[in-house]
Amino acid sequence: MLVGYNVLSNLKIYISRGVLGHLKMLEMEANNLELKQQELRQRGRQEELNANLQALLSKRDQLKAEIKANTSLQKMRTLLDQTGVPYERNEDVDNLEDGSDNSQLLLMMARHTQLKDLLHAHHLIGGYDVLQTRKGKGVCVSLATAYEGVYLETYNLEIDLGSNLRICRHNIPPFIPLERLVTQGNMQTDIRDFLDTLSQYLNAYAGRKQQLHLTKEIHSSVQVAESNALCTILVLMFTIPGEKAEAALCTLQYADHTQRLPTRVNIESEDTALVSSPQWKKNQALLLETPLHTALVTMKKTGSIA
Amino acid sequence: MDDSTKRILQRLIRRIPSQMLQTMLGKWAHLSREDLHSLDFTQPKWVLTEQLLALCEENGLRVKHITELEMIYIIENPNQGMWHGFQLLDAEEDAPSIELTQFKKQFKANLTELISNVSIKIKKHTDEAIWIRVAWGDNFTKPNHLKPTYVVHHLQTPYVFVTGLTSKYKPLLNQALVLATRYGSMKDAHLSGRNLTAIRDLLMRQYQQVFPTKNPKPLQEKNPVPRNPNIEKEHAENTENRLQMACEAFGDGTLPQLQKAVYKLETKFRDNSNKTLTDREEPFRGVVEFASTNLLESLRHCVSSGMASTPVTPLLSSITQKGRNYFVITDKGV
Repeated sequence: MLVGYNVLSNLKIYISRGVLGHLKMLEMEANNLELKQQELRQRGRQEELNANLQALLSKRDQLKAEIKANTSLQKMRTLLDQTGVPYERNEDVDNLEDGSDNSQLLLMMARHTQLKDLLHAHHLIGGYDVLQTRKGKGVCVSLATAYEGVYLETYNLEIDLGSNLRICRHNIPPFIPLERLVTQGNMQTDIRDFLDTLSQYLNAYAGRKQQLHLTKEIHSSVQVAESNALCTILVLMFTIPGEKAEAALCTLQYADHTQRLPTRVNIESEDTALVSSPQWKKNQALLLETPLHTALVTMKKTGSIA
Repeated sequence: MDDSTKRILQRLIRRIPSQMLQTMLGKWAHLSREDLHSLDFTQPKWVLTEQLLALCEENGLRVKHITELEMIYIIENPNQGMWHGFQLLDAEEDAPSIELTQFKKQFKANLTELISNVSIKIKKHTDEAIWIRVAWGDNFTKPNHLKPTYVVHHLQTPYVFVTGLTSKYKPLLNQALVLATRYGSMKDAHLSGRNLTAIRDLLMRQYQQVFPTKNPKPLQEKNPVPRNPNIEKEHAENTENRLQMACEAFGDGTLPQLQKAVYKLETKFRDNSNKTLTDREEPFRGVVEFASTNLLESLRHCVSSGMASTPVTPLLSSITQKGRNYFVITDKGV
């Protein structure tokens, strides 16, 4: 009977121990897991913070280096500006160069910024503007034209930067002798000269065209008998005030295509006496020296033309 | 009026559409106002033709007056027939200062020297273009007014546009033009089309070209296709780039109306799946022709909508950049 009682109590304890123990075991396991997860999370957070720290540190170093480079660039740039000869080497600049790659590069960068500012200033005063295209393999030059303070057309040239400079496309009108200017102006060796001459031709053409346009607008009594696309030949018909209301034919020839004023003025009329009068001689001189539309205003005021 | 003159007049009246006839006759100014009023323009053409014939006989009008009418009609409606572009090369020193009377005198003198029986009419249009009408004859026949050649030239530019020229008279015309304009030679510009304004605008670059600028204004698509705004937002930058490249290659706004581009291939056949043709030594001759009512507009749309890959292949952009629409492609290049 004792054995039975023992067995029974053992069984009871075993059973009770089993379930409770099991539960306790589970509880311990859960606790362990919880601890492990917390540890992992903390470690993860720590790693993340570490990584952040590293990134920020490297960024700070990078920025410090940039600031340093920029200040030396500024110093180099002020030196270049002071010496006033940006394109040639001189002693001060040479002294700054200690032969290392870094300073060479810095010099190049300073010259680059100087050139960019110069081009921007040139563009602001109405000169031409140069833009890089196709990732540095080409440039686009924009030539602005203006007359009497008013901006007129802008012409563009796209130049290919190979071993030889080559114009690949442009919107310059066909009566401007572009090919001749390219060879005469030595575009390969002296592109500034070429661009300056081209700009001169274009501005002169724009000026002459604008004079004709203004004349047509303001002076409707003056008839345009003949004109050409390049605006180098102009034949106008004036009406001379008087009882007979005679007509005078005025031929203006602009032989110099880089100028906005005519090189020759011829006035013809049936009334030859009138045309050779001192008043008309003055008018002829006036047309040679002042732009067309202003000259006509004066001529109207003095009563030479209607 | 003799029979040939009558025939010329009949042909011409048949050619001019009825709506334009009245204005053309008014511009012609060889018939008096009463005569013009007496014509009833609602009648069928053959009746009008008879009446006009009678009026011209009354007024004693001759061939040269009738050709004037034809010239007026062609100048007003130049976009018919096939026009070919030519380029003058090797300008001499005084080429830029040629003026109208000089050119007219020289051209007439040169051409009459080369071929005796020829009828030339030169007229300057308001847009500074010189129109020349040439009727060719030879030593034994009078000039043939039924098949005239028309030439358009803008002074101080190296371009000439010709229609109706047969190969027999081509060298004569070439020589006369070259001498009169003070250039060295004239070559084919490989640009042809029915629309004179289109090929003129293309060669003389009178359409709106687009160049890279510092502050690019966003180019707008004229007829945007309705699309999903989310997809549009994703592709905004790409679309803008494509549009910029399309406009740089072909132009902005209204483009010259070309109808055809022809590429003649003389390259070796290259396709691994077809051994017989690939092994041949001679080049494979083929012709690729693009035709459309407005070729440049369709090409620009292909590029801007992404159908053609960017950057634009130089084969297509050469049409606008070089101003030609006939290309021969060999293995060494275009």
